[in-house]
Order: sequence, then C-alpha cells, then structure tokens
Amino acid sequence: MGPLIPNEIIAGNWNFLIAFVIGIGFGFVLEQAGFSSSRKLAGMFYGYDTVVLKVFFTGAITAMLGLLFFSLFDWIDLSLVYVNPTFLWSAIIGGVIMGLGFITAGFCPGTSVCAAAIGKIDAMIFIVGIFLGIFIFGESFPLLQNLFVAGDMGSPKLNQVLGISGGVLALLVILAAAIMFWIGEWAERKFPREEY
Amino acid sequence: MKPRNLAVGIMILLGIVIAMVPENTTKPFKLTAQQMLNAVNDGTEMVHPDLLADWLINKDPSIQLIDVRSSDEFEKFHLDQAINVPRADILSPDYREIWDQGVKFNVIYSNGSTTAHDAWMILRQLGYQNIGVLMGGLNYWTEVVMNPKSPAAILPDDEIAKYEFRKGASQALGGGSASAPATSAEIEVQKPKIVPRKAKKAPQGGC
Repeated sequence: MGPLIPNEIIAGNWNFLIAFVIGIGFGFVLEQAGFSSSRKLAGMFYGYDTVVLKVFFTGAITAMLGLLFFSLFDWIDLSLVYVNPTFLWSAIIGGVIMGLGFITAGFCPGTSVCAAAIGKIDAMIFIVGIFLGIFIFGESFPLLQNLFVAGDMGSPKLNQVLGISGGVLALLVILAAAIMFWIGEWAERKFPREEY
Repeated sequence: MKPRNLAVGIMILLGIVIAMVPENTTKPFKLTAQQMLNAVNDGTEMVHPDLLADWLINKDPSIQLIDVRSSDEFEKFHLDQAINVPRADILSPDYREIWDQGVKFNVIYSNGSTTAHDAWMILRQLGYQNIGVLMGGLNYWTEVVMNPKSPAAILPDDEIAKYEFRKGASQALGGGSASAPATSAEIEVQKPKIVPRKAKKAPQGGC
C-alpha cells in the first residue's frame, strides 16, 4: 500500500500540505517538551537535564517501530522510502559544527524557530546566524565541493552494515535507549541545577 | 507502576516482537497473476512498426529504444539511438533508472518478440508501466518498414498511403540495406506470432 505518493494513491501535490501539518505538529511537540528554552537544551551537555535525549530518542524509536510493523503488515514498502545518502566527511564535520552551534547558542535550527515564535530575541539572532551560515556555505561551495561529496557511502542502513535484521537492530536500539535514559536520569540527580 | 516505566516496558516488548518475526521483504511483484493475464490479453504493450517509424521520423523525444538482445548482436546491428540492455541484465541496479522513470516511453525490441516479451513481462510485474514491445521485433520491422512491399494496385487509397509512408520511412531510417541478423531459431518460433496485419486492416477497410 504505502508509501502513498510514490504508489500514486494520493497525488504528489499533497506533499506540501502534509509537510505543513507535520511541521506544525513538530513545532508543537518541541514547544511542549520545553525545547524553546536554551537552558534546557544546554542542560543536555552539562547533565542537569536530559529531556532532549529522551524526547528525540522516543521519537526515533516510535517511528522505527512504526515503520517496521507497517512493513510487517504490508502497509508500506520500505524499499520505496527515501534514505538520505551518507557522505561520511560531511556528516562528521557538519555534526561538529552543529554541536558547537548547539552548545554555544543553546538552540538547534528547529528549536530556534520555536523559540523565535514565542518571542525570544536570542533565537531570532540565532536564525539570522543560520542564514548567514547558509550564505557563506553557498558562496564558498566551489571550495568545499570535494569535501562535501567525500566519503560517499550510498544509502546504507545500519543493520545492513552490521549484517543483522532490521528487527534485531531495533531491539538493540530500544535497549540502548532505555539504558541511556536511565544514565541520563542518574546524571540529572548527580548534577542538579535549580532555577533554570 | 509509573506510566513511563510502563511505556519503556511496552517499547521493549514490541522490540522483542519485531526482532523475532521474519523480516518482511514486501512482495516485489506489484501485479497479481490475474492483472498480468489481463495485461497480456489486452496486448496494449504492442507497438506496431508503423507507429514506431512515425515516432522515430518525428524524433519524438519521449521514446527510448531498448535492445534486449545480447551485446554481440547489438554490436552487429541495432536501431538508431537504441540502448543495449541484455535480457539477462534487466534487473541489474545499473539499469534501474532506465525503467524507473516517468518521462520516457521505453520500446523494447529483440529479433522476434519472444526475448522482448520476456523482459516486458518481468518489468511489467515489477510495476513499471511505461514499456512497450516492438511488434514482431526487428524481423517484422525489416519486413514492414525497411523493405516495404508495394501493395496491389486495386487496394484502397489508405493502403497505398501506408506504403508511401513506409517507403519514406525506409529511406529516412536507412532502410533497404538494413537486414536484421535474426537467429533462425527465433524466427521460426516468432513467425506465427507476428500479429497479422489483417487485424489492423479490418477496421480501416470498414470505415
């Protein structure tokens, strides 16, 4: 049956409307989880608040289990689901830059928009920074191009690389998440911080 | 029990379930046997040489010719602009982009139409829709378009017009000298399969 648009069950024009609804839902969840507070996000790095880890991992696990069960019930053809290609060096360097921005500013791109929407000035400045970064990257792309495409690994899935089935990997990820949540809450007790 | 502990327990339980069930390799075939039979009965995939000649002369950019014979045969002779995808390699990921696109109409041909039809059947079952088969293959193409026979003078005008078109097409597409190196085995099998032109004539005469 699914995915709906590649299988032409609904027209491709629905893409934007669906993205719009999901985007609003995503923003709502970010705000509800308290992610428009940069202190909460920074708490992840200092250990006094690990809700970021918990929310994102719960989201990932829910989607992962959902897709696997949908595939099991023949509701979705996973081979038609787009998997972002892996460019190893881009991913590593981009991850470092993103992490630096995350800890220095206290936002990631999505949460900055949430925070700007509730009127936080630092978030608005952060968004200006995002566009500045995009502009610099765009203008210097010819210089960065080789690095950008270096380490092209295609679109491998972790379970294929490890040679195990998707279901076993899912179980391992769930167990890893449960352990991380437990460690996270231990850290919250260990490094408490009041009034943030 | 705290709700979140319950949630963790449910997640782990679901994880165990999904780890134990066999991985669903969702059926690659998109058409059921009945749908496939209907498609074969309809025969709408057949492209008559006249129609193909018309497309080629008009340089229709949406037409892509695919030669599914072996690369040796392809080297010896092939239609202009054709791409060689030997039948054995049609499922190779290298050629996936040829089939998996919604822009061009692929016309598959071989010497007769058996090889081309084999490829068409498999590809059609995989869900690719924009595929046609050159009716009668290169043999029929040579007979109809490259070396057209002049019709008897008593035939109706449209028959003569068709002949004129074929003669023109033959010149435009480098006919006359072209001869498809058909393997004898396939010709024998194929000759009876060539869809008789009568079928096309009947409605034309009637109108």
